[in-house]
Amino acid sequence: MSWFTDFPELSRETLVSIRKSLDGAYRGFSREYGENIEAFFDPLLTFLVWFEKLLLATPWWLMIGVIALITHLAARSWRLTIGVIIALFLIGLFGMWEDTMSTLSIITVSTLLSIGIGIPIGILMARSDRTQSIVTPALDVMQTMPAFVYLIPVVMLLGIGKIPGLIAVIIYAIPPVIRLTNLGIRLVDREVLEAAVSYGVSPWQKLWHVQLPLAMPNIMAGINQTIMMALAMVVIASMIGVAGLGQPVLRSITNQYFALGLFNGLAIVVLAIIFDRVSQAYAKRSQAYLGGRE
Amino acid sequence: MRNKMLVLMSSFFLLSACGESADTAKTTPEAAPAATEMAEAAPSCGKVTIAEMNWSSAALMANVDQFILKHGYGCDAQLVTGDTMPTGTSMIEKGEPDVAPEMWSNSLREALDKGVAEKRLRYAGDSLSDGGEEAFWVPQYLTEKYPELATIEGVKKHVAMFKHPEDPDKSMFMGCPAGWNCQISAGNLYRALKLEDAGFALVDPGSGAALSGSIAKAYERQEAWFGYYWAPTAVLGKYKMTKVDFGSGVDEAHFKACITNADCAEPKPTMYPPSSVQTVTTESFASKSPAAYDYFTKRSFGNAQMNELLAWMEDNQADGTVAAEYFMKNNRDNWSQWLTADVVAKVDAAVAKL
Repeated sequence: MSWFTDFPELSRETLVSIRKSLDGAYRGFSREYGENIEAFFDPLLTFLVWFEKLLLATPWWLMIGVIALITHLAARSWRLTIGVIIALFLIGLFGMWEDTMSTLSIITVSTLLSIGIGIPIGILMARSDRTQSIVTPALDVMQTMPAFVYLIPVVMLLGIGKIPGLIAVIIYAIPPVIRLTNLGIRLVDREVLEAAVSYGVSPWQKLWHVQLPLAMPNIMAGINQTIMMALAMVVIASMIGVAGLGQPVLRSITNQYFALGLFNGLAIVVLAIIFDRVSQAYAKRSQAYLGGRE
Repeated sequence: MRNKMLVLMSSFFLLSACGESADTAKTTPEAAPAATEMAEAAPSCGKVTIAEMNWSSAALMANVDQFILKHGYGCDAQLVTGDTMPTGTSMIEKGEPDVAPEMWSNSLREALDKGVAEKRLRYAGDSLSDGGEEAFWVPQYLTEKYPELATIEGVKKHVAMFKHPEDPDKSMFMGCPAGWNCQISAGNLYRALKLEDAGFALVDPGSGAALSGSIAKAYERQEAWFGYYWAPTAVLGKYKMTKVDFGSGVDEAHFKACITNADCAEPKPTMYPPSSVQTVTTESFASKSPAAYDYFTKRSFGNAQMNELLAWMEDNQADGTVAAEYFMKNNRDNWSQWLTADVVAKVDAAVAKL
């Protein structure tokens, strides 16, 4: 065999021993620390289970009322509120209420966590080029690595269910909010910042009162993308045992029940639209004072 | 069941077999035994496509078949990536690929039977002579400690051991992923065995990978695990599990009529009957190359042997090609029984060159 025609690859034995030793190391790690890591996530799991039970135990009319109220407070638009009520009612009518509530609970928690973790990371990235050069490739990996590559190791560590599902959703959904927070802050006009500094603002005031408000349209776009991507992961999360709308979708695609798949898919879309319209309307309202700016 | 794994194949591997046409002329009719079918053996077998399914035992079989067809029968044997549903459908509708070496035929029994009736397909033989083995299992380290766990009564007695991570009041029974055929049978047996009353919640792992991942997790940490799985598989080859006896024996009629049926009103306990795992070929291949077809009628693995081979594959992270070479080198007693003396000689020569 010549290196000229064949790629000089490592021998099969070497490759196998590399793979086996990495797998063995991971197994050892999982055996050693698995229980502690599981215990670390226990409070979060308890909260997730509690939140899901809360949503499921709430009577449907109260739940629709609460969601409609939140929608109305955020968006102040009767049209949107009525649309949300009708959409939720249709979901219930087609027998998808419980699955929708399960999905709603895990998506709400993972979106809030994504935003809570993502925005600070984005701010750090905007403040330091070095952080940006480290975080950006990490985000690329998170967005492109096929989910099952890291999901099955996570299942070995934490078992199937909500926590691995949550981790999968966050890994996939967090990059947009980080990227756009970073971008938004970096795009804030230099002259505005100079003006603020000349007024003698502290770094904290500069961030809180100047940079973040001016970056808000970008940050909201990031949050919007994060919500959409979190909902897109519902089916993948179901593949590791997360209850919700993903399970009927899986059942329908393996059995080719197209209508069942379509109904549940549409329920996911409805959730996405509610999340999106509400957050966008809220953002638009809260930024209305920026309207006068060029 | 693995046949339902909906892993979307994004690419087709066409392993081209080349430069073997010189051998084809050597398959002479007089070398075949008196059997009439064999006597008609065509001198050339031509191009054969073999479906290589996306799980270990089927990959091994496909590669063994490729090796033997190529070197023993002079076929231009090529592997095509596949999965039960798409491959089965394509064989019935399009007549390709020519051979499915390990078809869990219950999952698309009706369609296959129809294909056979319409003379498009043939059931060549059983790929797994013992049939596929489905059951509810507990890890062997548990039964060593508590022998009574080998029966369903014992499992119910120790219900508290099988902790449910998301619900402290319940225990976990790991069912079968959403949409697979076994989801129906495992769900019905869960009802028949009154596991819910005993405190078990039926958990949907969501995918085959998550199901095996949960077994691996339990095994690495010696935790309790109770659920559905099937053999022969790499997982059960590697992680020793004990089959839980329902004390009911196999009631095949009830199993077929009710347990496998989503609308089963009153399921009664029954063990899983062996599910048939067959080699399926297209009619055109069978009539064109009767000698090669004859090989497929004989090629069959026992479950114990398959489990051993799968465990070897797992230990060495071997793919189908490497495993087939290992099998051909080390299990001459097996494969020589499937072949006539002259073919054995040719295959021997090829094995010697490995």
